[in-house]
Amino acid sequence: MNDTALVLTLAASMAAAVPIALAALGELLAEKAGVINLGVEGMMLIGAVTAFQVGDASGSLWLALLAGSLAGAVFASIHAFLCVTLRANQIVSGLALVIFGIGLSTFIGKSIEGQPLATDFRPVRFGALADIPLIGPLFFNQDPMLYATIAIAVLIGVYLNRTKAGLAVRAVGESPGTADTMGVAVAAIRYIHVMLGGLLAGMGGAYLILGQVPSWSQAGTTAGIGWIALALVVFASWKPMRVILGAFLFGFARRANFWLQGEGVDIPAEFLSMMPYLLTIIVLVVWGTRDLRRKIGAPAALGIPYIRDER
Amino acid sequence: MIPFQFRLERRLDRKWWHSVLTPLLSVLAALAAGAVFLAIEGLNPIRVYLDLFEVSFTDKFGITDSLTVAVPLILTGLAAAVAFRMNLFNIGAEGQLYLGAIFGSWAGLQFADGLPTIVGVGLVLLAGAVGGAFWALPAAFFKAYFGTSEIITTLMLTFIGLFFMRYLIFGSKSFWRDPDSANFPQGKKVPESARFELWGNTRLHWGLIFALAVVVAVWVLIRYTSIGFDMNVVGSSHASAQYAGIPVRRTVMFALLMSGALGGLAGATEVAGRAYALDPNGLQLGLGFTGIVVASLARYNPFAIVLVAVFLGGLRNAGIALQGLPGERVPVEVSLMLQGAILLFAIGGEIFSHNRLSLVRTTKAVAT
Repeated sequence: MNDTALVLTLAASMAAAVPIALAALGELLAEKAGVINLGVEGMMLIGAVTAFQVGDASGSLWLALLAGSLAGAVFASIHAFLCVTLRANQIVSGLALVIFGIGLSTFIGKSIEGQPLATDFRPVRFGALADIPLIGPLFFNQDPMLYATIAIAVLIGVYLNRTKAGLAVRAVGESPGTADTMGVAVAAIRYIHVMLGGLLAGMGGAYLILGQVPSWSQAGTTAGIGWIALALVVFASWKPMRVILGAFLFGFARRANFWLQGEGVDIPAEFLSMMPYLLTIIVLVVWGTRDLRRKIGAPAALGIPYIRDER
Repeated sequence: MIPFQFRLERRLDRKWWHSVLTPLLSVLAALAAGAVFLAIEGLNPIRVYLDLFEVSFTDKFGITDSLTVAVPLILTGLAAAVAFRMNLFNIGAEGQLYLGAIFGSWAGLQFADGLPTIVGVGLVLLAGAVGGAFWALPAAFFKAYFGTSEIITTLMLTFIGLFFMRYLIFGSKSFWRDPDSANFPQGKKVPESARFELWGNTRLHWGLIFALAVVVAVWVLIRYTSIGFDMNVVGSSHASAQYAGIPVRRTVMFALLMSGALGGLAGATEVAGRAYALDPNGLQLGLGFTGIVVASLARYNPFAIVLVAVFLGGLRNAGIALQGLPGERVPVEVSLMLQGAILLFAIGGEIFSHNRLSLVRTTKAVAT
């Protein structure tokens, strides 16, 4: 068996998981507060193009990452305004956000197309640990964002399930009317979490351009990762740690081709690309039917605008 | 705490001109917002907008090209409208369009040779509708009988359809692929008899008339037939539909399948009217997703969909047309950016036409 090819593929899958996981964790936050935002792909592109410009101008990796994240949050606030304040249809608004995001990022990024970026994420080596076969390259020789992403997932899990503020968020997503009666600021919580969602999506996009793709190539920069992130939230049944595991699986589907060919298995790349979507449908159909919905954790008020006056 | 908050109040004095003025103001606001970005990039916004208008809506070829782009948008707009007005969120018209193109081009390649044009094109369209409905079937079935969210299933099926289409042209030597295109894989061209006739020397084809006929048919179906009545009742309340003895599940299935078939027709008209083949590159333009926004802006009204589709078609066409012009003119990306901005402003504007946004003070009421 060709060990090195498999190890390299697995290590690459873990890196590929980072932007998917970041965007999905962001979407999870928004959806837990009851707002579905289909605009992930658009927010990632805005994050990526901003990160490139700032990285190019400042030469600082972390400044670029910060700028990309903030740009994602600002962009998400459009969705929050339309859906929370104006109570527009969340599906339509999210899709419009994607179209605007693709258009705006392509327009802004016109001058940087195809240019390489000088700064880049480098792997962090954990000394001798990195030399352990299999485990070393997978866990102790990755770039810092992988560790940061896992930490963010843990934090989100603790926040949502173990803190009072997290309880309020879940209440807003499950039953905004009840939350409102209890004195929870429904609109404010929805705004904040939609924007946090944009922040993480923007961070995912920024990481893509700073750490993975060689240059800005319009919508090809994200190549559908935003949509995979949307699938992942459902696949992971709205649980942060499952998002991480699912992201590795989906990341593997994006990187497995090279290894499989070496093994003499000839699965067309297109079929591998379908896997995340197919798996999500299966998960949804098997566990996501009406009666079992509570079990998999879809917020009950997901996608429904909250109107106090008409309660 | 913030001492004031926004509150949305339903307009009671809604005038007829609100519904005319709102879209116009939304477009103007979007153009103003776009102007900011244009100015930042050092372009003269007025000049850019005049150019956009000129290439799409002034001369004969500009207008006919805009109408050509509007054809699939009318159909995907209808696809979204019939489902969305019932609160069934089929957001997979994009994938249904791909499957419509796959089925339609298959029928054209397989059967159309030697047939009269009307039969050949008819077969392409029929197969396209079947393909679209077929792709909506899993989502429709699971929604109707298990309550599975159609939003996610239709979205997932869109990407499965996208990669399947790419497999047929780029990933394999399939029936659809032109065997002579080794380096740049392309779809095999359908025979003449599977193509819509063009109007004179323009690129506009009879698919426009077909799409308009479908608009009327959908309107009649919703308005004057018993299934249309059932759809309206189920759309407003499952409970009352059940009470009235309307088969809710079957109606939900029917609506989603019809929505899928309309999306498939959009793909078939692209095959018969523009690409003449299964063309993955040409189809990856978000026609299905844009259709959802078309339907929403038209408030799910079939006739308003035509107007919105022509307007957005013109904007899309401007993007393409500007590429072909000599000299330093408007960058093609502007049209895409403006489309997005107009969509967002129109969504907001639509709410304002129904409601009034007022700033109210939320200082705590003093106990008396």
